[in-house]
Amino acid sequence: MRFRIKRDYYGYLFIAPFIIGFLIFGLYPVYNTFSLSFTDTTLMSKTSEFVGLKNYIRLFADDFFMKAVKNTWLLWTLNFIPQVGIALLLSVWFTSTRLRIKAVGVWRAIYYLPNLLMPAAIARLFFGLFSFYGPVNQFMVQTGLIGEAMHFLQDIAVTQGLVVFIQWWMWFGQTIIILMAGMTAIPIHLYEAAMVDGATSLQMFRRITLPLLKPILIYIFVTSLVGGMQMFDIPYMLTDGRGSPVSSIMTNNVLMYMKFSSSKGHIGAASSVGVLIFIMTTIIALGIFYFLRERN
Amino acid sequence: MENNYRFRTNILRVLVYLILTILLIITIVPIWLLLVNATRSTTEIQQGISILPSVHLVENYRILLSKGIDMFKGFRNSFFVAGASTLVTVYFSLLTAYGIVIYDFKGKKIISNFIIVLVMIPMQLSIIGFFQYMSKLGLTDNYASLILPLIANASGVFFGKQYLESMIIHDLIDAARIDGASELGIFHRIMFPMAVPGAVTLGIFAFVASWNNFFNAFILISSFEKYTLPMLVKTLRGDVYRTEYGAIYLGLAITIVPILIVYAIFSRYIVNGISLGAVKE
Repeated sequence: MRFRIKRDYYGYLFIAPFIIGFLIFGLYPVYNTFSLSFTDTTLMSKTSEFVGLKNYIRLFADDFFMKAVKNTWLLWTLNFIPQVGIALLLSVWFTSTRLRIKAVGVWRAIYYLPNLLMPAAIARLFFGLFSFYGPVNQFMVQTGLIGEAMHFLQDIAVTQGLVVFIQWWMWFGQTIIILMAGMTAIPIHLYEAAMVDGATSLQMFRRITLPLLKPILIYIFVTSLVGGMQMFDIPYMLTDGRGSPVSSIMTNNVLMYMKFSSSKGHIGAASSVGVLIFIMTTIIALGIFYFLRERN
Repeated sequence: MENNYRFRTNILRVLVYLILTILLIITIVPIWLLLVNATRSTTEIQQGISILPSVHLVENYRILLSKGIDMFKGFRNSFFVAGASTLVTVYFSLLTAYGIVIYDFKGKKIISNFIIVLVMIPMQLSIIGFFQYMSKLGLTDNYASLILPLIANASGVFFGKQYLESMIIHDLIDAARIDGASELGIFHRIMFPMAVPGAVTLGIFAFVASWNNFFNAFILISSFEKYTLPMLVKTLRGDVYRTEYGAIYLGLAITIVPILIVYAIFSRYIVNGISLGAVKE
């Protein structure tokens, strides 16, 4: 005990690399992004000037920014709801003592697999699968589902649906694993007591499972939201990198990259996109986290 | 009554297995098509779908090479970056987590909460400021800009903290101190060997994250010979390759096969790791 007290200042030594690394590679870039967003810096020019809120005013003047924000929310929400819904259903089945599903570990491991694969490659794969001469068209024409091949990726609804599907496909397995970890932590005697009282499985799910899963659900919600607001690889690689068709899958990060890679490399304007999304996401994520957690 | 219940359970079970099988097919079919098409020629792919592989693997690779895509080089680049990222993440995350878990210093609680907050902040959105700052330091088009930031990897520390808290090691540490071991020596020689399962799990996640990382590499790396695999995948998106279906599928397959192998070996670590990262007691 004496030793531990004497040596506690070593804690600072152990966390020092993290703190220094964070200041250099984490905090300063955030500060730099904020300050760049108030300038007209480009990749080409050596000099730059302070332009105040001009970049921000410009962002709100054209429709692109609002469209990117709307797209990102739409694509994230449409993937998140079925992701959690299906994952909840499967987690209940996998942990059910009534059903006794066999080889739960194997099912779960396979459902999780897409999450590990390279999103850029997955998007390129789906581009291939859904292209005009691709397997999906071949299959649907051969089986008579459609009369002739379609330009899937020129259709707004299909393209948005595909981004949503890929995101769902990549994440529902992970959500199952997390939810099941939460469910198995719920004391079994709660269910036993409920069963003695004659509760149905739906009642037990609503009165026991869901309330006790709340912290886990918040965790899933917040981490998914933070990731979703930065969605890039899939919408960028699925079509032309500009969110085609008609900017329907242009997300926040795709727009930021478009500004960054424009012929002049307008990094001041690109920074302002990053800053706004950063603020929006941080406020919502931390707000949800603390608001919901404190009340519990 | 009893029979009726059993009957309904069986019906329900059949229904559940049916849905599980449908989801399984949805999960596997795109990956399977990718792997199969990597071995088929463009003509074969155009003729129709097959669920069985063909014999054009080598030919497809030659086509890629002839069009200037050296997947093997991209593979080496990715492997180097992901390997270094893994070492940096595992070492520094556990170092930081150990400092927080073992010592009772002032501000410990603040640091601990701060790391949780950092996990929930979209740091990637500061990439533009990061890029400009790196270019001032002359570190753009340099792998260091992809690897060094991982010294401060908040999710890694968060995981490390969860893991170390689940091992009770205070007594061992005190014993080592009485034997005259230094604090860093205890971390290296006593904590690390004990924490190998956790380090492996963390390492796998770090490796996969770096291997798949497209956005940062895309912004920071510019010379073609330094391209990592996701950047080569982006190149495959170009018009030159538009009609080389077989070769494109092969290019994509090369990026995912190593991950499939890693997963086949370590899936238990991975699944447990996800559970541990999320559940707080």
